[in-house]
Amino acid sequence: MLEVVRALGDWVAIDLGRIEALATDQASLKAAAGLAKPGKWSGVGGSVDGALIWGECAGSGANPYRVMADLRDLGNKCTCPSRKFPCKHVLALLWLNAEAVVAFPPGEIPGWVSDWLGRRRGAGAVPGGAAARPASDAPKDLRAAQSAEADAPDDPKAAARREASAAKRLEETERAILDGLDALEQWIGDQLRLGLAAFIDDATARCRRIAARLVDGKAAALAGRIDELPARLLGQPAGDRPRAAVVELGKLVLLARAFRAAPRDADIRRAVASSETRETILASGDTVRVIGLWEVLVEQVQTRRDGLVSQTTWLLNLEPEGPRFAMLLDYYPASAGRRTSAFTPGERFRGEVAFFPGRNPLRALLLQRAADGADTRDWPEPAPDLAEALTAPLHAEPWVLDIPLLLPRGRVAIDAAGQGWWRSADATMALPLAEGVEGLIRGTELTRAAALWSGNRLAILAARTPWGRIGADG
Amino acid sequence: MAEAIYDALGQVLTRWTMGSAAAPVAQVWKAEIGEDPVEAELRLLALSGQFLGMAVIAEPPADLRAWPDLPALALPTLPDALRPLARRVLAAGDGRHKRNLAQFVAGRGWTLHPADWMPAASEDEAPDVYAPWRDWIEAAASGSGPTGGAPESLTTANWENILPAARNAALSDLRRRDPGAARSLLETMLPGEGADIRLRLLGQLAQGLSEADAPLLESLAANDRAPKVKALAASLLARLGRGSAVGEEAAELAGFFTLGTKGLLRRSRTIWANVLKTPAQRMRRQTLFAGTDYSSFAAALGMSGEELAAIWGWGGDAQADIELAAMAERSAPDAIVADLATALAENNLPNLGPLRALAPRIGPTQRAAIAQRVLHGKGSYQDALAVAGPGGRVQGVIDVPAEAALLRALGGADARPGDHAPELLALGMLATRAGAQKALDRLVRGAGLLQADPRLDMLRLNAALEDRGVQG
Repeated sequence: MLEVVRALGDWVAIDLGRIEALATDQASLKAAAGLAKPGKWSGVGGSVDGALIWGECAGSGANPYRVMADLRDLGNKCTCPSRKFPCKHVLALLWLNAEAVVAFPPGEIPGWVSDWLGRRRGAGAVPGGAAARPASDAPKDLRAAQSAEADAPDDPKAAARREASAAKRLEETERAILDGLDALEQWIGDQLRLGLAAFIDDATARCRRIAARLVDGKAAALAGRIDELPARLLGQPAGDRPRAAVVELGKLVLLARAFRAAPRDADIRRAVASSETRETILASGDTVRVIGLWEVLVEQVQTRRDGLVSQTTWLLNLEPEGPRFAMLLDYYPASAGRRTSAFTPGERFRGEVAFFPGRNPLRALLLQRAADGADTRDWPEPAPDLAEALTAPLHAEPWVLDIPLLLPRGRVAIDAAGQGWWRSADATMALPLAEGVEGLIRGTELTRAAALWSGNRLAILAARTPWGRIGADG
Repeated sequence: MAEAIYDALGQVLTRWTMGSAAAPVAQVWKAEIGEDPVEAELRLLALSGQFLGMAVIAEPPADLRAWPDLPALALPTLPDALRPLARRVLAAGDGRHKRNLAQFVAGRGWTLHPADWMPAASEDEAPDVYAPWRDWIEAAASGSGPTGGAPESLTTANWENILPAARNAALSDLRRRDPGAARSLLETMLPGEGADIRLRLLGQLAQGLSEADAPLLESLAANDRAPKVKALAASLLARLGRGSAVGEEAAELAGFFTLGTKGLLRRSRTIWANVLKTPAQRMRRQTLFAGTDYSSFAAALGMSGEELAAIWGWGGDAQADIELAAMAERSAPDAIVADLATALAENNLPNLGPLRALAPRIGPTQRAAIAQRVLHGKGSYQDALAVAGPGGRVQGVIDVPAEAALLRALGGADARPGDHAPELLALGMLATRAGAQKALDRLVRGAGLLQADPRLDMLRLNAALEDRGVQG
């Protein structure tokens, strides 16, 4: 068996035995075998000295997973939410390298790999140490994992049974959701009867209780939304909270009624129960696919009360046509620890994005991408009627919480109370800003700005200015 | 219709806030919400929520005020390609570390991008080039209107029109070019300023201090309203050899030391600190050092300032060493400060406190030279950085014991990925551009570090950043 070897100043790849030893179990190897194929990967590369390898692997999330490994000590990292370490993506990357399935062209080390290296400080990734030790003594076999990959033959009877079973599950789920929505409406009525002042004071506990009921009722998405409702309320100035509570609770009533009217509607079901799988989206004839140049506006990571971390990446479509924004949304358990960012704000790439079917295509999956920093074209023109852009999505989906906008030329202004406002250059429109607008963004013209409108506050995600592109934090 | 709905919603919201049914007062939607009381409340909630969420946007107040444009600085911002590196270096440390990077970058003729870093308005230690941004923050926050750019030259006529940080920078520039004009300007303008500003402005006289400044300083030391200004004027006078006469405090301080001789063949005088027996004694000595000027102390010991610098027994009492250096920094003439700095560098003290205390009075060239000596002795890169500052101008940072120690530590069997980051950062801030490139080569080839190792970020930034030949 070959060891990790350094020769003539360069690190060379490892052999399969090391990968077997590294895997936690045979199941991981089997899963890795399915991924160790060139078609699953993009952006594969290695450092000039051969010590680092990296690549992006399409997974079940909205973002491709970024996978990286240090061949000196087999330290590794993947942005997937797997609790196994190493995960199947890392094993597959090592496999691709060991078997030379794809070329790992030497090149500039991406920022996300550098970031990972920085975070490895003190992590105990010692050469020859923990990272390189076999994860398990159980026998594992790569070749067996490969042979197990053969697809099982289609069985029409089994397929019919699966279909019938799925239909039954769907019916049961709908029944449970409808029961949950009944409970929700009763709860909303109770909040009105008991007074919104008391609701605002005790929102966290009250929302937690009804959210738990909705989880039992298989309305997980709605439960997550209600769990975050107190944070949105408390993020408002105290004087605005009764109004915000009415808007939030009103949207819940509308959503509940919409589900009762059309329980199979994809948009509504996604807002109430759960999202379709990646496979379903890709197989759907309603899925809109857009190939073009995209710019990463911002990546928002939020730890939710339900123990999940949401990772939302906002993309701006720089092409003249197609949906202007795409939202890549992934969830992972907070216990899985911090994930490496999938993107760098401001980076541009040429890629294919598949939008979840819906009235206002926004949530999307990134299917593939290739870096394209050379295209320096300006941001597209904003919609001609900003007032229309603020409300149009709400006509189609009145329960929507945030509306992405591309704003025309304007700048930040401050009122006597210190509240920030975005004001258009022609002074025809001014929108109140969410908190946290500090630094440069207060002292420069915003030739374009991308922002989220939440109905009464505007959060700037990124802007083009005479100082170049800037993010919301300055 | 919208007006009527809006008017009705006031009552609706009030009722719901208090816990009363609101449907009875929502006549405007009577048909839509129906008769069933429970259902009517829910329908009214849905309608009200959508109306408030869609049709009601807060009106901006009439007093909205846009801040003026952030002024451009005299130096360009870092090239875009280097900003990610700079951001990573910035993220690796605290405020002082960030100022160090700003100073390093300014020394090369660049500034940090305002989206990456801006000094606080009160950040006096930020490089002068950032003064317009500090003033912009202060002026914008206080609503005092647009900030003007830096003037060609500071005069009594434009004094009031320039904000404090830019004025301080302009005064510093004037003092460098024309010390007499800067003094005259101060003479005229100081009385009209507050104590804190007087103190800050007077500090500018330290640059290029000469006998010609003595009359102004004597006047301030005798007559200024603020004790701190008086004390600073007295310190500056002391630097000119016009210290106060030996007083009780200087004599008491001298009593903490013993004069003697050393050497067998060539007997020479020396001075050592008496052993202190109680914390109270230590506190008292510290107070006396802070309140006495260097020349008075030397006179109380019966010798000249030069002689005291020559015979001081460095290393005997580390605290006394630091206190003497601080006293000299505050009140000793330039020549004596230079003598003390040389003596300290030659002594290779394990404790660099005295050199750090003296550093503000040592010129950049001598500081770089001392830093080199520190590196050729037993000092680390962090020691050398403490002396030289982050100027990126120290020659010969490789082939020194600090480098050998670093390579040895990084290449050791027990080396961990995050080890020695502060030492590598210090090396990156010390080295010239060519030195940084050489150091990078050694670290990658010699110690097996990856080129992309984040610990090398500062060195990589240094090596990549064009030197535009501007001293920070």
